[in-house]
Amino acid sequence: MNKIAKKLMTLGTVAALAGAVSVANAETLKIGLAGPATGPVAQYGDMQKIGVMAAIDDINKAGGINGMQLEGVIYDDACDPKQAVAVANKIVNDGVQHVVGHLCSSSTEPAADIYDEEGVLMITAASTSPTITEKGFQLVFRTIGLDSLQGSLAADHILNSVKPQRVAVIHDKQQYGEGLATAVKTKLEGNNLNPVMFEGVTPGDKDFSALIAKLKKNNIDFVYYGGYHPELGLILRQSSEKGFKAQFMGPEGVVNSDLAKIAGKAVEGVLATAPKSFDQNAVNQARVEAIKAKGEDPTGPFVFTAYAAVEVMTNAMKATGKTDPFELADHIRATELDTAIGKVKYNKQGDLTESTFLVYKLHQDGSKTPAQ
Amino acid sequence: MSEFSLYLLQQLINGLTIGSTYALIAIGYTMVYGIIGMINFAHGEIYMIGSYVTFIVIAGLLGMGLVSLPIVLLIVLIVAVIVSSTYGWTVERVAYRPLRGSNRLIPLISAIGMSIFLQNYVGLSQGYRDAALPPQVVGGWTFGDPAVFEVTISYMQSIIWIATLLTMTALTLFISRSRMGRACRACSEDLGMTNLLGIDTNKIIALTFIVGAALAAVAGILLSLYYGVINPFVGFIAGLKAFTAAVLGGIGSIPGAMLGGLILGVTEAMTAAFFPAEYKDVVSFGLLVLILLFRPSGLLGKPEVEKV
Repeated sequence: MNKIAKKLMTLGTVAALAGAVSVANAETLKIGLAGPATGPVAQYGDMQKIGVMAAIDDINKAGGINGMQLEGVIYDDACDPKQAVAVANKIVNDGVQHVVGHLCSSSTEPAADIYDEEGVLMITAASTSPTITEKGFQLVFRTIGLDSLQGSLAADHILNSVKPQRVAVIHDKQQYGEGLATAVKTKLEGNNLNPVMFEGVTPGDKDFSALIAKLKKNNIDFVYYGGYHPELGLILRQSSEKGFKAQFMGPEGVVNSDLAKIAGKAVEGVLATAPKSFDQNAVNQARVEAIKAKGEDPTGPFVFTAYAAVEVMTNAMKATGKTDPFELADHIRATELDTAIGKVKYNKQGDLTESTFLVYKLHQDGSKTPAQ
Repeated sequence: MSEFSLYLLQQLINGLTIGSTYALIAIGYTMVYGIIGMINFAHGEIYMIGSYVTFIVIAGLLGMGLVSLPIVLLIVLIVAVIVSSTYGWTVERVAYRPLRGSNRLIPLISAIGMSIFLQNYVGLSQGYRDAALPPQVVGGWTFGDPAVFEVTISYMQSIIWIATLLTMTALTLFISRSRMGRACRACSEDLGMTNLLGIDTNKIIALTFIVGAALAAVAGILLSLYYGVINPFVGFIAGLKAFTAAVLGGIGSIPGAMLGGLILGVTEAMTAAFFPAEYKDVVSFGLLVLILLFRPSGLLGKPEVEKV
């Protein structure tokens, strides 16, 4: 309903503007917001939206950027690479020059090509696949760490804290999941802990009973899952129904309240690497309250990385006094910027120089606490 | 028993469970094909609607404070079967009947359109995200030596078997004993001739859609209780698998659909048991290709005779 109401209001505004014939084209700067608004991982798109909209509100209240008000425009890629390309082209055609997104790595990668070629500044707040920035783009940045860092953090935790006997590494055969699973497997092998099983599952599958029976037969006591929450949720739920007990661990793609909704009690104690809980940072307390006041959830892992993505852009705009993507990119690369996720510094590729991940323990009420 | 045979038994149980539900959905495809020679691609969506009705009714009843599981399930069964059958009938009436007698390809495209329409209609009204239901039927039996390998049969799995068996028996009796069933069989032998003999074939075709939808609703109830997670796209994969099962068993043949479903389910489980799980679709669809190469009409299907 809210969305419809918003749409109606926008329509109303448009009509009003059209009525008052020559209202000066109010100086607004559009920020494209690309990510899944529909589809199975729409929840992550919501997190990104909450963060970006909060940042835009704060900046507009403080007078905007160089006299311009910001406006967030949502583009839905449904986390589908084909749709992401269409969305990227639409953003270019709409003349939007600054994009926060996309979200799923498999969508971000093809879209990044288009943005870099067409001169659009893109900052992803959630895509962690290393291959995105490997091509040496000029206009592509992120406010989140890389899979390679996340995978190696997970492997370190497995080796030093969990110390399991028989490990299985399962993934969803997608760029994000398999990439992470491979990173974890490689590091474990390098430390003489050879995974007993390394297997893929089909995304969208609902029945994992055969896989669970196999895990049980192989006496697995630790499962690393590279992928998203819908499949891990079902694996956890069916494992507990079938009496398979092991420690599970996943990447930040499984960290959201839907996981607990699907798996219920089985979520308790599952480990996950996730971006640090920036909603706990002292500087963000006023922002957290503002988001809560709007009836939205400030605790999602991508809320403040998205907030920071807007800040990186606007800080550079303020400092340079321009909005040209290329000049902004040069400034972002050269300067250390102060954001909601702390001080950020970029390397030549456009990646953060410091990892933003921590290992967390998940709980059945959807919350998480740092794991020891 | 040795570890290997216990493990094999566990995988057989898993495979038969998933296979039973494939079979329930496959019957809808096969009955429609048997009578009007058309693939109803919107059938998977009818199953999905059955799942959503199950969720809504259970959530509603639990919200009202009704906790007796058998009564809840009975109400769910009645409501889901009625709603799904209504959708099945409506789809036929709106999207297929006006196209009867036209080129075979046209109703097929209409079916694909109907399928996309229903996916998005449910998505827009219920949300595209996964909806989850806490487990309603918990627990099960275990046997085997815990030190070797413990076989688990959950209560839910046994409910799926019993429900499938009862539904299949009822369907077989209906088709072989009742007047309506006889008319169905006549229609599948020769639609035109049956019409000439004074049977309202439109009514029989509508009935076929209603029966197929009712079975899909039963599958929807069972699977949404078993997995506890649904989204508007579950019908697509389930429909594809069930359609494969129908073709495997011989499309047009009801016992063939039952057999095809079970074979597909067991093949998937056994593949996942002894090979990496990602190969299960490769093997089950490879099997389909092989069977079609050697028996183009499927396991129990009758070769189509060109009528002159």
